[in-house]
Amino acid sequence: MISPVGTPVITLIGPPNSGKTTIFNILSGKNYKTVNYPGSTVEYYTSRILAKYNIHAELLDSPGLISLIPESLDEEITIKSLYHHPKLGTPQLLIATVDASQLSRHLLLPVQLLKSGFNVIIALTMNDILQKRKVKISTEKLSKELGCSVVQINGRTKEGMGKLISTMNSILENIRNNGKQKPVPYEKIVQNNSLVDTFLKIEDITNKVLEFKVDEEKINLKKANDQLEVHPSILQNNGFTTDELTLKLDRVLLHKHWGFLIFVMIMGLTFTSIFWLAQPLMDLVDELFSNLNNLVLANFRSGWLSNLLAEGMISGVGSVLVFVPQIIILFVILGILEDSGYLARGAMLIDKPLSKIGLNGRSFVPMLSGFACAIPAMLAARTIPNRKERVITIFIIPLMSCSARLPVYALLIAYLVPRDKLWLGGFLLAGIYLFGITISFVIASMLNKFRQKLFKVEDTSTFILELPTYRVPKLSSVLSHTYNSSKEYLLRAGPVILIFSLLLWFLVYFPNSNPQFETEGLSKTQILQIEKSERLEGSYASSIGKFIQPIMKPLGMDWRIGVSLISAFAAREVFVSSLALTFKVTTEEEANQNTLLNSLRSATIEDTGQKLLTTATTLGLIVFFIFALQCVSTIAVSRKESGSWKIPIMQVFIFTILAYTLALITVNGLRVLGFE
Amino acid sequence: MKTAAELNFGERGTIAEIDCTHPSSRRILEFGFTPGQVIELFSKATFNDPIAIILRGSLIAIRKSEADCIKLK
Repeated sequence: MISPVGTPVITLIGPPNSGKTTIFNILSGKNYKTVNYPGSTVEYYTSRILAKYNIHAELLDSPGLISLIPESLDEEITIKSLYHHPKLGTPQLLIATVDASQLSRHLLLPVQLLKSGFNVIIALTMNDILQKRKVKISTEKLSKELGCSVVQINGRTKEGMGKLISTMNSILENIRNNGKQKPVPYEKIVQNNSLVDTFLKIEDITNKVLEFKVDEEKINLKKANDQLEVHPSILQNNGFTTDELTLKLDRVLLHKHWGFLIFVMIMGLTFTSIFWLAQPLMDLVDELFSNLNNLVLANFRSGWLSNLLAEGMISGVGSVLVFVPQIIILFVILGILEDSGYLARGAMLIDKPLSKIGLNGRSFVPMLSGFACAIPAMLAARTIPNRKERVITIFIIPLMSCSARLPVYALLIAYLVPRDKLWLGGFLLAGIYLFGITISFVIASMLNKFRQKLFKVEDTSTFILELPTYRVPKLSSVLSHTYNSSKEYLLRAGPVILIFSLLLWFLVYFPNSNPQFETEGLSKTQILQIEKSERLEGSYASSIGKFIQPIMKPLGMDWRIGVSLISAFAAREVFVSSLALTFKVTTEEEANQNTLLNSLRSATIEDTGQKLLTTATTLGLIVFFIFALQCVSTIAVSRKESGSWKIPIMQVFIFTILAYTLALITVNGLRVLGFE
Repeated sequence: MKTAAELNFGERGTIAEIDCTHPSSRRILEFGFTPGQVIELFSKATFNDPIAIILRGSLIAIRKSEADCIKLK
C-alpha cells in the first residue's frame, strides 16, 4: 500500500458519528483496503478516489477523533500518523467532517487542525436536521471566520459532493504551485489549559454564523429573557436543541427500569438469531463440503494425494467457511443496531455492572460477538479506549462459548439426555453458556485485582460517550461493513485453520497410510470407513493420544477421546467427526449422530472393561470444552490484538489448567455423589 | 458545591468549573462541558450510573465518577 511518489494523500478526519464514513464511501465507492500503523492495532481504510471524480489522490479514513490531544495509546498513534504516516507520508489535505447540528462541539478538532497548519476543508454534514429547526449555517461566514473552505454535504442525496471535489482540486492545485507548509504538532503550540479559550472562540464563531428564520415569538422571548437574564446560555445554544424524536425514544429506551429490560430482550434476540437464523445455512455449507469430500474420495484413485485433497484441503476449507453464515448474521444485526444509534445506549446501560469487574460498557459488543466466533470478537475489542479494559476483554472472550463448540455440546447433550426428557437438553445448554459467562466474570475480576502487575500502566478507566441521534439504519453501509468484516475474518482465520488441518491430516494419515483388512461382504462406504479408523489407530495421532493417556485417565477417559481432543485444535467441531472415526462408526450415512451415540454407549475402557462415557465423564467432557482454549487462530489473533505473547500464553496456560481441573472435579465429584 | 452527578431527573444547572485534578478532566472539556454551559440531566442507567446529560444539544453518557468533577453554579 505504498503510494507512488507524487500521489497526494487526502485524509478524512472527524469525531465519531460526524458522517465521516459516509463521505469516505461516496468518494471511494466502498472499495477499500485496511492499512495498519506499523506495530500497532490502529487501522486505517485507504482507497484511491473514484476515477469519475477526476482527482488523482489516495484517500485515508482515520479512526474517529475528538481532539488533537491524545488520551489513549491508540489516539496517540492516530494523531502521530496524521502528521506523518510511515507508509503514506503527510497528508496534503484534510477533510474534516462536522455535524452541523453539533457545530459547537465538533468545531474543536478543525480549529486545532487549522492552528497546527494543515490544509483543511470542512465538510458540514446533517444540515437537514438544522433545516427542520429552521436554522441555517452560513458557510461563507464560517469559512471567513475560520479561514478555510467549508462545504455543505448531504450524505443521502450526495448534494454538495461536486463542490467538495472542486474545492479539493483547487487546493491541491494551489499546493502543486506554491508547495505545502509543514504542520506543527498541536501540543507544541498550545498551552495545556487553553481548551476553555478555544471553546469560547468557537461559541463566538457559531453565534456569528447561525441564521434564523425570523420568528416574532422567539425574538420577543429573547428580549424578555435578556431583560430578566434568564438562562443566557440556553439562548446562546440557539438552534442546538436535542432531536425531539430521540428524546422521546430515549425516555423509554433509557428508562431507569424498562431500559435495561428492553436491552436484555434486544440482546437475547440478537444472541438467539445468531444461532437460529444461521443454523440452516451452516448445515448447508457443512453438507456441501462433506459431499465434495465424498465425491473426491469416490472418484479419485485412493492414495495419499486424493486423501490429502479430500480430508485435508476440502474439510479444512469447509471448517473455515462453516462459520461465515453466523458471522454475516452477527455483523448485519450489530451493524443495524450500531447505525441506528442503539449500540451506544446499550454500552451505557451495561457499563456499571461491567465496570465492577474491570471491564467497560464498550466490552459488551465484543463479548456478545464471542458467542459466534472469538476472532471477530477480539477485533471488535479495539473500540475500547482503555488498554487494561481492552486486554481483559480479549482475555475472557474465549470463555464465551463460540459456535464451534455447539456441535460438540449437541452430541454430548444428546448422549446424556434420555429420549423422554428432551427439554432437559435445553436447560443443560443454557447452563453451559451461563457457567462459561460466570467463570469469565470471576476471571475478569481476578485480572482486575492484579492489574498493577499485569499492565504496569496507570488505570484511568473512563466512560464518556456521545449518544447519537436515532436514525433509520442505512442498509448499504451495513452490508458493505458486513462484507468487509467477513472478508477480514476469512483472511485472518482461514490460513491458520487450513494449515493446522493439513498438519492434523498428516498426523492422522501417516505412518499407517494403507491398512490391510478383510473387505469381504462390505459396501464401498463401509470399506472407506473401516479403512479410515484402522488408519487412525496406527497413526501418529493415536501415538500422541496414547502418550497422553495417563493424563486422560483421571478424567475417566482414554486415548480415543485424547486423539479427538487433539484434533479439535484445528477447529472444535472436528471433535465430533474425529470421535466418530475413533469409535469405528461404520454406516452408510456419514457421521450419523444416532449410530455414533450407540457406539459411544457401548464403548468401554480397553484395559479395565469399564464403561467409557458415563454421565460423570460426559459432563466432565462438556466442562473441559467450556474452558479449553482449543483454537489456534484465536491464539494468533489474541497475540496480534494484545500486542505481545504474554496474554495468549497466559490464556492457554490458565484455560487449560482450568479445563482440566474443573473436568477432574466434575468427574470425580459426581462419582463420589454416586453418579456413574 | 453541587456537581453534575448530583442533578435530579430533568434538573438543569450551569457549569461553573471543571475540576482539573481529575484524570478525565481534559476529555470532559473536549466533549464541550465548558464553564457557562447549561446542562440538563436526562436519565440515569438502571444502576444509577452512568448518567445521560443534555449538553449543547447532544446527549452525552458519562460515569458519575466523572460527572463529579463538573462543578455547577
